[in-house]
Amino acid sequence: MVRKLVHNELFIIGFAAFFIFAVLPVIYTISITFFNFQSVWANLQELNISTFLLLLKSILLSAFVAFLATTIGSVLAFVLYKTTIRYSSFFKILLLLPLFISPYILAVAWKEGFFLMFGSTLVLASYWGVIIVFISIYTPLSMLIVGNALVNISSEIEDSALLMTSKRHVVLKIVIPLIKPALITSFILIFIFSISEFSVPSYFAVKVFTTEIFTQFSAFYNYSLAILQSVLLVLLCLFLLFAERKYIANAPFLAIGNKGVVFKLYTIEKQKVLLYSILVLWLFVSIFLPLTILVAQSFSGGAMYLVQAINLIKPTILNSFFLAFVSSIIVVFIGFTAAYYNSEHHLIKLAKYFDLLLLFIFAIPSIIFGISLIFFYNQAALSMIYTSYAILIIAFVGKFSFIASKLISNSLKQIPVSLDEAAQIQSIGFYKRLQMLILPLLLPAFFASFVISFIFIVGELGLSIMIYPPGAEIMSVKVYTIMANAPHGLSSAMSLIVFLITLGIIPFFYLLVRPMLNKYHLSK
Amino acid sequence: MRMLKIVIIIISAIFLSNCTDSTEVVVVYTSVDQVFSEPILKDFEQETGIKVKAVYDAEETKSTGVLNRLIAEKDNPQCDVFWSGDPVRTIILQNKGITAAYHSPIADGISEVYRDKDYHWIGFSARARVLLYNKKLIDESEVPQGIFDLTNDKYRGRFGIANPLFGTTTFHMAALFTVLGDEKAKQLLDSLQLNGLVIATSNGDIKRRVLSGEIACGLTDTDDAFEALKESDNVDLVFLDQKGIGSLIIPNTVNMINGSRNVDNAKVLIDYLLSKQTEAKLAKSCAQMPLHKGVKLPEGVFSLDHIVPMKVDYRKTAKKLEEIQDYLKRWSEN
Amino acid sequence: MIQLKEISFSYNDKPLIRGLNLQFEVGKLTCLLGSSGCGKSTILRLIAGLEVPSTGAVYIDNKLVAKDRKNITMVSKRSIGFIFQELALWPHMTAYQNVAFGLQEQKKTDVKEKVLEILAFFGLSEYIDNYPNEMSGGQKQLLAIARSLVLQPKVLLMDEPLSNLDVKLKHKILGYIKKLKNEFDLTIVYVTHDHKEAFAIADQVVLMNEGRVIEQGTTEEIVGSANEFVKEFIEY
Repeated sequence: MVRKLVHNELFIIGFAAFFIFAVLPVIYTISITFFNFQSVWANLQELNISTFLLLLKSILLSAFVAFLATTIGSVLAFVLYKTTIRYSSFFKILLLLPLFISPYILAVAWKEGFFLMFGSTLVLASYWGVIIVFISIYTPLSMLIVGNALVNISSEIEDSALLMTSKRHVVLKIVIPLIKPALITSFILIFIFSISEFSVPSYFAVKVFTTEIFTQFSAFYNYSLAILQSVLLVLLCLFLLFAERKYIANAPFLAIGNKGVVFKLYTIEKQKVLLYSILVLWLFVSIFLPLTILVAQSFSGGAMYLVQAINLIKPTILNSFFLAFVSSIIVVFIGFTAAYYNSEHHLIKLAKYFDLLLLFIFAIPSIIFGISLIFFYNQAALSMIYTSYAILIIAFVGKFSFIASKLISNSLKQIPVSLDEAAQIQSIGFYKRLQMLILPLLLPAFFASFVISFIFIVGELGLSIMIYPPGAEIMSVKVYTIMANAPHGLSSAMSLIVFLITLGIIPFFYLLVRPMLNKYHLSK
Repeated sequence: MRMLKIVIIIISAIFLSNCTDSTEVVVVYTSVDQVFSEPILKDFEQETGIKVKAVYDAEETKSTGVLNRLIAEKDNPQCDVFWSGDPVRTIILQNKGITAAYHSPIADGISEVYRDKDYHWIGFSARARVLLYNKKLIDESEVPQGIFDLTNDKYRGRFGIANPLFGTTTFHMAALFTVLGDEKAKQLLDSLQLNGLVIATSNGDIKRRVLSGEIACGLTDTDDAFEALKESDNVDLVFLDQKGIGSLIIPNTVNMINGSRNVDNAKVLIDYLLSKQTEAKLAKSCAQMPLHKGVKLPEGVFSLDHIVPMKVDYRKTAKKLEEIQDYLKRWSEN
Repeated sequence: MIQLKEISFSYNDKPLIRGLNLQFEVGKLTCLLGSSGCGKSTILRLIAGLEVPSTGAVYIDNKLVAKDRKNITMVSKRSIGFIFQELALWPHMTAYQNVAFGLQEQKKTDVKEKVLEILAFFGLSEYIDNYPNEMSGGQKQLLAIARSLVLQPKVLLMDEPLSNLDVKLKHKILGYIKKLKNEFDLTIVYVTHDHKEAFAIADQVVLMNEGRVIEQGTTEEIVGSANEFVKEFIEY
């Protein structure tokens, strides 16, 4: 009797659910567009040289952002994760704060701040504005990814090189090559984030590919051209993912480090001042400055704006948090299914394509994904989904599962296969192994994916505003719609409150999982 | 087992999340800023007992959300009433067959200039396009009085408009084209551009920039301008071209959606929105000018009786808008 | 000769080693024997310069290399070979690259010849283009040793290098190590918790417990010791 080592049920549930609920609507919409040959032909002619020049411009912009954010993120990660610098945990948490503020609000704060400081926002209302805001948001992401890779290099690997050469060369020739996969992941994620983000370039009146899609969509109501252009964007992202895969597949050394490795910390003596200055400077620019502006404006009318803001936001809190909570749990499940079966894809052929699907939905501009969901779900038979929160959950799970699958699969790679094999030899069943070995070891990654999804979902605007059920109170939508005609003070106060309550709920989640983390001795 | 129960509860919570027990419901989509529209809708709920389910949008999103949603939902409409901040969007919907006719008895008190001849939409409370200026940066005697004044060298690089592809700004452009004729309008736009016109993202952004002094003056809507006046004593507004082509008046419009599921409640809401009572409230909250005669105005709110309006046919202007959009896109991207 | 004088060392404010004095003779193989956590690996790291003593001094060839929280001679200048417990082969380099890296970094000449020669010596010629995870346990072991010896160190430090091998391989490699010592005139410090392994190869054995030396001497001297701890330790 051949005993199956991996069971397919989980995969089938995850894959089928994702495909039917999130991917099918988009395929449906794209095919409607393409079956209308006449309009496709007319629109293909519209895709002229200037479209491609614009795409190229967006690519350069995003590549520049991704490169800089990854570089700064790596430097910060190195300082905080690999040196004996003091208060590193404190700095790590502080540096992650920009992730909690939505890009749009950050853009507003930056612009106001620039004006207060220099009396002009001319410099900012250009590519530089977009670059600055993007870098300040995405650098923490890079720091997380790179930092995680750094602590997984066993100290012996560096020590053995230290016996032969200088620290500088060890970093250049041993450490950097080993974290290259993390650097590439960080680059690609940030690239995709920034090439598909719309609100910031739009706010700074910078023309990029997404704003062009938006214009076609909302000024000209030319859906098919907008969809055609989005397909270009998606193809680009898929190509990047293939490139990444190809690279990783060609690197037979990927199974670096194990869980719980002892990693090397470099002592800092001479460079202390320099490193602290880097940290403080970055903190000042990316957090202190925008937050100060928000706080200052919130209190510009005494406590009035804050009270008003609290009253406006109060009815949305429960809804938004419930939605984000449920969606994030599903996101983690889908992310895990994709990551786990992808690592076992020799057993299930289809699994290889799962994260391509995740990327597909992640990379497609929110407007197009939103409109696809409307086209697909707004039918009498499906109105149960369309008119309830289910539509938002589908949208969020579609949008954010890719990030979760990336985080979880990185973590999965660090669990030695031998752990699972050892259990297989002892005839321990698939679900038991999953339950006793894989899941506990992945718990920290699950938690991280959950928290990141939660934050992103609470702040998500582009999709929510298109599909939220009539009458529903959604936090990000409300902040945005109220902000439109509210005084500066009120919009800042709302941003500040959203920031604070999102920040406030994270420790609560930590308390919830801590017993589990402790049980498996994973809390540190 | 306990786990299963929790899951079942959560799933039913998701699907039942947006159901209401009462059948007395009306779904309204609005592109009017939530700060102003929500209080009116809440009052309606209180007075009639009909539950309002609203989808709001913001000017800053250029109302894509609501409008594209209405278009996308065409075959299975979820919405009963669309309350628009301007007639253009409604006319776009009308051309796509998304609106339904409803001859509200209240509409008879409103000048026919401001309504569709077949009652596919009816206007009420209006805004106007004005020039908002920063008193610290422009001397009282130097304030531009007409749109052509902005081509004067002394305002070089110090004035702005919002993105002409969206919102009331597109409408303003289209109105200028219908009133001035294509050639003269294009000349005007080109000279404005040569004179260093600043293009902001939205009317709200124009307001912010004038308030902060980044630009000296900019074209925006009365509601934004009044907000600015409330926030600061350093700004003031002026109605342009009162001795010439007049100022563009932009009424709110309301219409029924073709295929509405709650026709009766929709009618009640439309009548409510068109009422003098609503006009009075909007005059108070965002300085919108009533279209009914005899609505009592709060201090500081202008009356249409004292403003020379730009003479435009809203339908033609909407058509013009579609014609010139490509031109505007090229112009604004230059 | 390697000398440790009055060494104390703490890790995370926990004292691991207190007032330790030890000497390792040139051309001899000394085994540091003790249960895990007794500080024996730390001694290797102190000699290599990967850690600095909290107090006390380290001498190599009568030259002061570290004293009181200060490394005087840099790690890379001490010409020491180190075989780690987990071998620490660089996973992203082939066998050839693993061995050549140090030579290239130290700007040595005839890199290729030296690498091929030492790989041949260890019988690894056919694996030069393989990555470590494409090699067997024993091959990796030999590769790690080759990587250290190619730089011709005077001192070779080995941290339980054989703990993961089967008995047959263990004996083969132990044989190699003895041969090496004579061939390269090496001073070897070999850390293990297995007294049989220690007795099989050591010229000198140092038995440690909780950061202190309990007993030292030749195999015969240790076996004949009257110390209770020693007796108990070698019983198992």
